[in-house]
Amino acid sequence: MKNFTYINAKSIKDAVESLGKNWNESVVKSGGTDLLGELKGMIISPEKVINLKTIPNLDYIESTQDGGLKIGAVTTITKISESSLIKTKFPVISQAASKVASPQLRNMGTLGGNLCQRPRCWYYRENSILCLKKGGSQCYAFTGENKFHCIFGGGPCFIVHPSDMAASLISCDAEIKIYGRKGERELELNNFYLLPRENVNRENVLNPDEIVVEIIIPPPKNNTKSIYIKQSIRETWDFALCSVAVSMSMSGLKCDDVRIVLGGAAPKPWRSINAENELRGKMITETVAESAAKAAVNNAQTMRDNKYKINLFQNIIKSAILEVIKS
Amino acid sequence: MTRGFKIPKRVTTEIDFEGEVIKIDAEVPEQEPEPIPEDKKLNIIGKKVPRINGEEIVTGKAKYAFDINLPGMLYGKVLRSPHPHANILNIDMSKAEKHPGVRAVINLNKKNVRYVGEEIAAVAAVNEEIAEEALDLIEVEYEKLPFVVNINRAMEPGAPRVSPDGNISKPRTRERGNIEDGFKEADVVLERTYKTQVEVHNCAEVHGSVAKWDGEKVTVWDTTQATHGVRRSLAKTLQLPESNVRVINHYMGGGFGSKLGLNVHTVAAVNLSKIAGAPVKIMLTRKEESYCVGNRPGTIQTLKGGAKKDGTITAFHYKSHNNGGVGSGGSNASPIWDMYQCPNCLIEESSVYTNTDASRPMRAPGYPQGTFSVDLFLDELAENLGMDPLELRRKNYTTKNRGGTGTPYSSKGLDKCYELGAQRIGWNRRNKKPGEGKGPIKRGIGMASEIWGGSGGPGTQLDFRLITDGVVEIRCGTQDIGTGTYTIIAQVAAEELGIDIKDIKVMIGDSDYPRSGSSGGSNTAASVCPAIRAAAADIKGKLFAIAGPLLGENPEELDVGESKIFVRNNKSKSISFKEACKQITEGMLTSNETRGPNPKGYAFSTFGAHFSEVEVNTLTGKVKVIRHVAAHESGRSINILTSENQIQGGTVQGLSYAFFEQRIMDEQTGKMINSNYYDYKTPTAMDTPQIEPIIIDSVDPVLNNLGMKGLGEPPRIPSHAAMANAIYNAIGVWIRELPITPDKVLAALEERKEG
Repeated sequence: MKNFTYINAKSIKDAVESLGKNWNESVVKSGGTDLLGELKGMIISPEKVINLKTIPNLDYIESTQDGGLKIGAVTTITKISESSLIKTKFPVISQAASKVASPQLRNMGTLGGNLCQRPRCWYYRENSILCLKKGGSQCYAFTGENKFHCIFGGGPCFIVHPSDMAASLISCDAEIKIYGRKGERELELNNFYLLPRENVNRENVLNPDEIVVEIIIPPPKNNTKSIYIKQSIRETWDFALCSVAVSMSMSGLKCDDVRIVLGGAAPKPWRSINAENELRGKMITETVAESAAKAAVNNAQTMRDNKYKINLFQNIIKSAILEVIKS
Repeated sequence: MTRGFKIPKRVTTEIDFEGEVIKIDAEVPEQEPEPIPEDKKLNIIGKKVPRINGEEIVTGKAKYAFDINLPGMLYGKVLRSPHPHANILNIDMSKAEKHPGVRAVINLNKKNVRYVGEEIAAVAAVNEEIAEEALDLIEVEYEKLPFVVNINRAMEPGAPRVSPDGNISKPRTRERGNIEDGFKEADVVLERTYKTQVEVHNCAEVHGSVAKWDGEKVTVWDTTQATHGVRRSLAKTLQLPESNVRVINHYMGGGFGSKLGLNVHTVAAVNLSKIAGAPVKIMLTRKEESYCVGNRPGTIQTLKGGAKKDGTITAFHYKSHNNGGVGSGGSNASPIWDMYQCPNCLIEESSVYTNTDASRPMRAPGYPQGTFSVDLFLDELAENLGMDPLELRRKNYTTKNRGGTGTPYSSKGLDKCYELGAQRIGWNRRNKKPGEGKGPIKRGIGMASEIWGGSGGPGTQLDFRLITDGVVEIRCGTQDIGTGTYTIIAQVAAEELGIDIKDIKVMIGDSDYPRSGSSGGSNTAASVCPAIRAAAADIKGKLFAIAGPLLGENPEELDVGESKIFVRNNKSKSISFKEACKQITEGMLTSNETRGPNPKGYAFSTFGAHFSEVEVNTLTGKVKVIRHVAAHESGRSINILTSENQIQGGTVQGLSYAFFEQRIMDEQTGKMINSNYYDYKTPTAMDTPQIEPIIIDSVDPVLNNLGMKGLGEPPRIPSHAAMANAIYNAIGVWIRELPITPDKVLAALEERKEG
C-alpha cells in the first residue's frame, strides 16, 4: 500500500470539496471492505482517501410519505438485511442484503459502497497485470480465463457487476441521489450503471468529484411479490456466479408488471426486458416461467469457460418466477 | 576385555517419508520397554486430552516466528521475477542501496528465471514499506523468453522448453507380473482418464524467518517442519560449522509439506542480517505464499484395469503425467500399486515441466491424486460387474503390500473401517440405481479407501530429566507443526511415570535440543512417542533404585500410578512420587534412552475408509456434502482429541480439493490470477458438513513399544474420492476432473441429456 492522506469528512459538502478532479487523486471510503483490498493489493494508489463514515446523518432507513423508502448511503448491509420495514415491503432487497459477502463484511460494508464497488475480475484484481480497465490495451479475460465473466453486454471488457444490492434495488425501480461540486442529481439506479463500451474504466456515471448520498425506493405497486436468488461457489463470502432479482405485481396469478434483473450476467446489473415481456399480462404457469427463462438467455454470448451460465440462469430464473408467486 | 568404551548398535531402517522410501541410519538401544499390552487400562494415553498449551495458543501468548520482534530488527523483502521465463541481462541495485531507510541489498546472481515469483534479490530496511519501495528501485533488465504454464500445452510438440531435456521426463516405471496376461484373463476391461488440479498449501501461517547474528553464531526463528534439517542445510549453504547455527520453531501455523526444506528467503534473511548488522525478519505475503513456496502437482492420469466376473482384479495399467512446475511431478501410483489385490501391474509416470514454481510435498503427496483415479475406477468397475462397490473392495482385500504380492502388513484394520463406516453412514440406503432419486435435488452415497505409511522410525534423541520437585523436563529437537506434538509427548511421559500431565514440561522446536527428524510422512508421533516412553521407563527404573530402599523393597518389585510409587503386590505399601523425587541426591535424574528400530519382515501402513453422503442440485450444479464418515486405523491413538482433529482437518482439505481449490495460471501472462484468499476458494464453515470420525480401536502388535502409527496425512487421502463417488450415485453421471464445480456438474448433466 502506498501512503495517502486520510480525511474524515464532516459533511457531504466537506467530502465533495475534498475530492479531486480525477480518480488518481482521491477516492471515498465508507465501509472500506472493497477499498482496502484495492489499496493493499495496489490496484489503485490514490493521494487522498476521504472517509464518509464521519458524516452525520448518512445512516438511515426511512419511510417516505408516499409509502416508499429512503436509505442513507453509509447504512450498513446488516442494517438493511435486518430491517423489518424492508423485509415486509421489499423482500427482494432484504434477501439480497442477507446474501452479500459474510456477516463480518455486512457489518462493515455499506449500501453506497456496495453499489459502487469495483469488479472482481481476477485480471483486474491482479496488480501486475495491466488490463484494459486499468488503462492497458487488452481484456485478458476475453482470450483467457473467463469462467466468471459476462454473457451479456461484454466488450471491450468482460467483467460482471458484483453487486447483489444493485440487482435487487433495480428490480424495485430504485433511484440514486448523487451529490457533487455542481450540486445534486437524481437518476434511476438502472441508468447509473454503464457498459464498458460506454466507459471501459468505470462501471457507473459517477464523476471523480461526486458521491452517492441516498437511495430512494418508490412505493411498491399493488400486490407486489419479490425474490432474490443467488448462486455462488461457496455458501457465504462469495459473489454471485449468477443471481436473479424478481419483483412482480400481480392480480391473482396474472402478472401485471414485472422487473427481472440479473447479477453475474453483465458488466452492469442486467435488466432482462425479454423475460419481462414474456410474463407481463400473462397467467404464471410453469410453461410461462420456462419460456421467460429461455427468453432471458436468448441472446447471450458465451466465451470458452462460461457456457454453463446459460443453463444456470435459465434454471434459477424459472425457479425464481415459480417461487415468487408462491410467496 | 574392556577398552573403556562400548560400541552401540546401529541399524538402518527404511521408512516411508512423503511418498518416498528413505533410509535412517541411527543408533538404537540394546533393549526397549515391553510393548504396552492391548488390554492394559491406561490413564492418559488413548483419552481425550486437551492440548497442554491450548491456552497459550488461543490467547496469543505462544510465539510464532511472525511474533518474534527483536530490538533494532529490520524487515526484509524479496524481489521476484515478474516474468515466467527470462534471462537476466543486467541488474542495478544502486538506487535501492541509496534509498533512505534501506540497510542491506543482496543480489542472488541469477542469470535466468523460470517462473513468476522466482527470487532475484532481497533488501532489508527499517520497515516493510521502505523495503517494498526499495524493491521497485532495483532495476533489472530482462530478456523475455517463451514460456508455458499449462500441462496440456507443455506436452504439445514444439512447446517452449522448460527443461533442456524436454518438458516430459522419461517415465518412471514399476512393474510386476504381466499386464497383457492379466487383461486376457479379465471379463471386463475399462480405461478411464482422471484429472486433478494444482493445489497450493495456503498454510494459516505464511512462511518466514527471523535471523539474528551474535558474533560468528546465527540464530534463526523459522517456520519449519524440520528444525534440525534446516540447521544442517543452512550451515552447509553458508559454509558455517553446524554448531554455529541455531534454529528455533516453538510454534507453527501449519506446513503441510511446504516447510520441509531450507528456503531462499531464509538464507536471504541470514545474509541481509550479516550485512546490516541487525536482526532481519522476512515474512512472505499471502500472495507469495500462493506461487513461490510449492504446490501439489496437477495430474492427468489414465487407468486401465481388468477384472473377472466375480470381481477379482487381474491387471492395472496406470499412466500419469504430473505437473511439477520447474520441479518434480512426484508420484501418485502407490494407491494403485498397493491398495487392492492385483497380481499384474504396470506403472508409468512422467513429470511435466512448466514455467510455474516447483511442487513440494503436500499432505500425503501423490496419494489423493492416485486415490482419485483408483477409487473412482473401482466404483465404475463395480457397476460394470453388477457388484456393490464395497463388496468389490472386500473381494480384492489384501494383507500384503504390492497388491498382495509383497510383504505382510504388521497390522491392517481396513476391514473394520469398511464395516463400521458403512454401518454409520447407512450404506444400504444408497441408490441401487445411480441417479434414481426423484426431483431436481438428488442424494447419493459413496466411499473410498485410504492407504499411507506413517510407521515412524528410530533416530530421535532426547534429554529427559526428573527434578527433585517431581517435575519432568523433556528437551527434544522435534517440532509441533500444529498437530499437538507437545501434548502427546507429555501424555506418554505422564502415563509411563504414573503422574499428572501438569508435571511434564515439554521443550521442543529448538536445534539446541537433541536431534529429531523432520515432521513429514506422518512420522513424528510414531518416531517420538516410543522414544519418550523408553526414556521415561529408564527414569522410572532410576527412581525405583532410590525408592526401593525407602520402602524396604526390591526396586524390581515397584510400580507407579496415581502419583505414587508402590509395591506391585501390595499397593498399600507406597511412597508418593514427589516424596521419592526429593531423595534424588544428585538434584535430577537424566536419561537419553530412545526407541529401537522397526522390526524387519513387515510392511507398515495406515488404513482408512471414508463414506460420504451428498446432495446434488441438478438445476444449479451445486453439490452439498450432507454427512461424512471417516474411519481410520492407525494403531493405538495416543490422544483421541488430536486424532479427531487430524481427521476433521484432513477431511475438510479433501472437501476443499473436491469442490473449491484450484490454482489458475493465465496462459497469456504466465501469472497466477487467483493468488488471494477470495479467488482461491477454500470452504467456509457453512460449506463444511457434519464430519464423523471413527478411530478404530487397535494396537499394532510389532511396530513399536506403543503399537502406534501416524495419522497426520491419512485423512487427507480419500475424502474427495468418496464425495465424487457419492455424486455419481446421486446423479448417475461421472465427473472425473477436480474440482467438481457447478459448471462441470451442469455440463456433465447436459451431456447425458444430449447423449
